[in-house]
Amino acid sequence: MNEMLVVLLIAQAVTAAVPLMLAGLGELCAQRAGVLNVGIEGFMLTGCIAGFLGAALSGQAFIGLAVAVSAAAVLAALFAWVTVIMRTDQMVAGMAINLLAVGGSGTAWLIAQSNGFAELPADAGFFRSAVPSVAPLTQAWLRDLPLIGPLFFDQYVLAPLTVVAAIAAWWMLRSTRTGLIIHALGDAPDACAAAGIAVQRWRFAMIMVAGGMAGAAGAYLSIMRTHGFSPMMTGGSGFVVLALVIFARWRVLGLAAACLGFGFIDALQSHLQSRGLNQVVPYQLFQALPFIVALLALALMRRGTTGPRTLGQTWPAER
Amino acid sequence: MTTRSWRGMIEGIALAGGAIALVVVVVLVGLAMLGHAPTAVLATWFAGAAGSGVRLAMSVQEAGPLLLTGLAAAVAFRCGVWNIGAEGQFLLGAVAMVGFGTVLLPPGPGWLILPCVLLLSASVGASWALLATGLERWRGVPVVLSTILLNFIAVAVVGMLVQGPLHDVSTSAPQTALIAEHLRLPVLIDGSRLHVGVVIAVVLAFVLWIAWRRTTVGFEVQVVGLNPQAARLAGMPVAARQIAIMGLSGGLAGLAGALQVAGVTGMLSGAPVSYGYAGIAVAMLGRLHPLGIIAAALFMGMLSTGARHLERRLAIPHDLGDVVQGLVVLAVLVGAGIAARRALRPQAEGA
Repeated sequence: MNEMLVVLLIAQAVTAAVPLMLAGLGELCAQRAGVLNVGIEGFMLTGCIAGFLGAALSGQAFIGLAVAVSAAAVLAALFAWVTVIMRTDQMVAGMAINLLAVGGSGTAWLIAQSNGFAELPADAGFFRSAVPSVAPLTQAWLRDLPLIGPLFFDQYVLAPLTVVAAIAAWWMLRSTRTGLIIHALGDAPDACAAAGIAVQRWRFAMIMVAGGMAGAAGAYLSIMRTHGFSPMMTGGSGFVVLALVIFARWRVLGLAAACLGFGFIDALQSHLQSRGLNQVVPYQLFQALPFIVALLALALMRRGTTGPRTLGQTWPAER
Repeated sequence: MTTRSWRGMIEGIALAGGAIALVVVVVLVGLAMLGHAPTAVLATWFAGAAGSGVRLAMSVQEAGPLLLTGLAAAVAFRCGVWNIGAEGQFLLGAVAMVGFGTVLLPPGPGWLILPCVLLLSASVGASWALLATGLERWRGVPVVLSTILLNFIAVAVVGMLVQGPLHDVSTSAPQTALIAEHLRLPVLIDGSRLHVGVVIAVVLAFVLWIAWRRTTVGFEVQVVGLNPQAARLAGMPVAARQIAIMGLSGGLAGLAGALQVAGVTGMLSGAPVSYGYAGIAVAMLGRLHPLGIIAAALFMGMLSTGARHLERRLAIPHDLGDVVQGLVVLAVLVGAGIAARRALRPQAEGA
């Protein structure tokens, strides 16, 4: 492998890692606060369709992004109401949310198609550029910079924002009172309540954040990477994010490393496929690769550090 | 979660019925805003789901696999085992059945071979489920996660088999050959593909009901689900019960897949199925009670055949069926939570 190829692969790894990281940051906060958000797949899918529809109807990519975040946050509010306020089982409610999102996105997609909105207008998507409102060609010199160009400027606009969000989340969880509260929500909600912290309100908010972030990740998939929608297009990447958060032991830096590693495997496999490996190996193996890797990662990971102590439990406990 | 008394049963029925009614009203209002008259939607849906004997038979046929995947979810959930992997276990059972019926073709008369092959296919589904248990026991991987991930791996494995060793050489389409005629299940009603497998599923539901109510193991399994610590202190073999339940759960899902091949499709193609995920909805709507699950599976079966009829007649996407499923589960969850808290209140005051 020559140097150019390595840079190219890393740049592609970043492109693939961005949605995982975006959704993962939200999921990490929710899990730290004690909520096992299995509905993340549904939130991402909602982001995909809402982002697509927003961008297709308005002709503006940014409106698509805003619609995606809001729609996923609304669905997240439903999930939060059902699990946090009505105190039902997070796991089952999450799977119900996923069913709802599959059905809802499918319905919306078919209605959109029959009304002539099957494709994004060419200018309603995002392009790979640092400053999206400027035509991509005028920044060509930035992208042509060696090494820095492909890594930082040949990406979609959400990539730098994701880096900012990751640093902010890392700092927030590590050194602020908010971060301390989020940790405490998951480890000792009773103590939180005793200290006057509104546990349910906080958890509600964390789920909304997780939903919004997953919605942005969905919009990244539909209006940036693929420039279109197809039914069930998330294809389980929400569940992969769930695995990555646990694999990263609920740490932001670990999550970043896991997402980049995952992105790299993704970039490598598509490169190998284009080099003709798919003639030898069935393509389904590549399809299953993310899930096999995620499962292996979880199985082989060093045990020890435990996660949020009340992860997945309803609060306050009944009886 | 156990609804043992008659009162509990009536409450469960009221809860499920109320949840369905609420969701149907919400969906009908939504459709009315899109310009579909609610009466027309309901009438068309009912005509599609149960308008004639054949239509009803189709709904019952659709309810068969849902009943088994619903039971698969219920046995696991009642024991506190979060098996979300019915989807993958279903597929593995189905592909095993195709393998036996097209390539392996064990010799012997159908009446002897078919039950054996069905059992073997079910055990393939069970092994896929036990893989998740193994990962949990040895490597601490949460079952919730591993079963979900294994679903996607199963889709790829089945895809590879369908386009590889099991591929029908006479076509370029990604599908297997039809299984041997003597390994197909008899059809009960002409014009439909309502097959004996549905009867097997109903019988299994009753067997499970009795096992839960009347056997020691059934009792232990429920205690393990309600309070594993208490079960352990009472000397119950918690781990052994959980492992056995995971096998049973995967076996039921695998059997659902095998029966679907032997009774309905006769082969596998690349077309996606979602009986596994829907099974979770069926189990929750049926309040994890075998008899409730029979009713819930019938409702979900009618929901899906009716939804497809709606799509043909009124151009309403049949995906709306999934929306109804998801909303019904959420409504049942919330309703059950409220009912449980209301039931607790007088006791708390009395204490």
